[in-house]
Amino acid sequence: MGTIEFRGIKKSFGPKHVLRGVDLDVQKGQVFFIIGQSGAGKSVMVKHLIGLLRPDEGRIYLDGVDITDLSEQEFYPIRKRCAMVFQNSTLFDSMSLLENVVLPIRKHLDVSMKQAQEMAHEKLRLVGMDAFADSYPADFGDGMRKKVAIARALTLDPEFVIFDEPTTGIDPISAAMVDKLIRHLSDNLGVTSIVISHDLRSIFGIADRIAMLYKGKLMLDGTQDDFRHSEDPIVQQFINGRPDGPMEI
Amino acid sequence: MSGIRTRVESPLRSVGDKFLAWSAEVGGMVMLIGQILRRIAPWNLDGPETWRNLYKIGVKSFPIIVVTAVLTGAIMVIQAGTYIQEYGAYGLLGWGAGYSILREVGPILIGLMFSGRVGANNTAELGTMKVTDQIDALRALAIDPISYLVLPRFYAMIIMMFLLVVVGDATALVGGAITSEFLLGVDVNLFAWSIISYITLDDLFIGLYKALAFGVAIAVISCHFGLTVSGGAVGVGRAVNASVVGSAIAIFVIDFIFSSAAH
Repeated sequence: MGTIEFRGIKKSFGPKHVLRGVDLDVQKGQVFFIIGQSGAGKSVMVKHLIGLLRPDEGRIYLDGVDITDLSEQEFYPIRKRCAMVFQNSTLFDSMSLLENVVLPIRKHLDVSMKQAQEMAHEKLRLVGMDAFADSYPADFGDGMRKKVAIARALTLDPEFVIFDEPTTGIDPISAAMVDKLIRHLSDNLGVTSIVISHDLRSIFGIADRIAMLYKGKLMLDGTQDDFRHSEDPIVQQFINGRPDGPMEI
Repeated sequence: MSGIRTRVESPLRSVGDKFLAWSAEVGGMVMLIGQILRRIAPWNLDGPETWRNLYKIGVKSFPIIVVTAVLTGAIMVIQAGTYIQEYGAYGLLGWGAGYSILREVGPILIGLMFSGRVGANNTAELGTMKVTDQIDALRALAIDPISYLVLPRFYAMIIMMFLLVVVGDATALVGGAITSEFLLGVDVNLFAWSIISYITLDDLFIGLYKALAFGVAIAVISCHFGLTVSGGAVGVGRAVNASVVGSAIAIFVIDFIFSSAAH
């Protein structure tokens, strides 16, 4: 249980073919990185898992159950199990940081407002933002907002968490803290993490498995060692960050 | 030959494109109304979000509505004053001003002010949430955006439009009475007697029915254009513009329908 399977996912936006038939398997408790160039379809791919996008072709299975054609309402139980931290934080501007984190608790858990606030403070402490609980998102930069977005995503104790570029725009210390948190969720709580990232230090620091997308297809799916020792010049160009090579930019 | 054909076809194509675009917008609004009606029960409302909207829409609009209404009442009296003085029909001044304020000018001016202040603000807020993925973030948190965002705004706009027209009518009449006393020398008591004697409850109720209908129209139009924004900041600007224009057109169409039905 706790497995995610993507089978032959194709997705186009108008004339632009973003995904051209991608297969992926994510096992329970894994820290699974999806890497690739900007525009390679990484965010598009993961949004299919919680029904924010629907594939043109292909099937998605969660715990062996086909979830591809579920309605918006039928996706709600899945979204409670599978949280997502968006690339640009997506905190609600009109709410304080505390209110942002309280929101999913008071909407989904049968607890008093006081209990909800205590739970939210606990999650904010986890990411080092509790001291700013009454401030508003506009008062902070991308990095600190992203940490609050992570706290909000963890409020319902999800089984799966999708992190879309969680360390982009964060200082190295905070980035290391986020990496440690993702590893902790996996090792101690059995949470499955799907992480979209360009951060090579994170990728080769905490990944159990890595999948690389290129031109809408799966280029390589393997362990850190598989990537390090791959003889594919495109893989090597990407993981070494070389501007020159066969990769089309 | 093909150049001539293109020149002939392009205006037709432009008209066709515009018609399709309008149809899509109207269809979108009808679908939004359907989505709202499916969740219309008050227990689907989010308490904190509803109170926030009632405060933002009602309390914060109060000063501008009062100022608008007082001046409207004063202007109505000044416009009628010339003829009232010419014919010496001072006893009709309250009726003339009250009739036009309660049935037409009050609801329309407050509706236009409401759409410019509240409707535009609502479209901009929802549109910004859309382009910054905050709407998708709500969906990802298993929170229905229609129940959480649209329903409280829908209720708040209807309730507050109604209450603001009630307040606006009253303050416009007070403004008219004060103006009639100080500019035209018509006694406030005579002004009030004229209103009580000649204005019927129907005159008041027609204006209030219009206020409810304007509230529904502004809520649906402003939420629709906010939720369908695309194209970043430029798209938000376009949506706000479309929302204000669409609301103004809807206000006059609704007013025409109510006025025709009432006569």
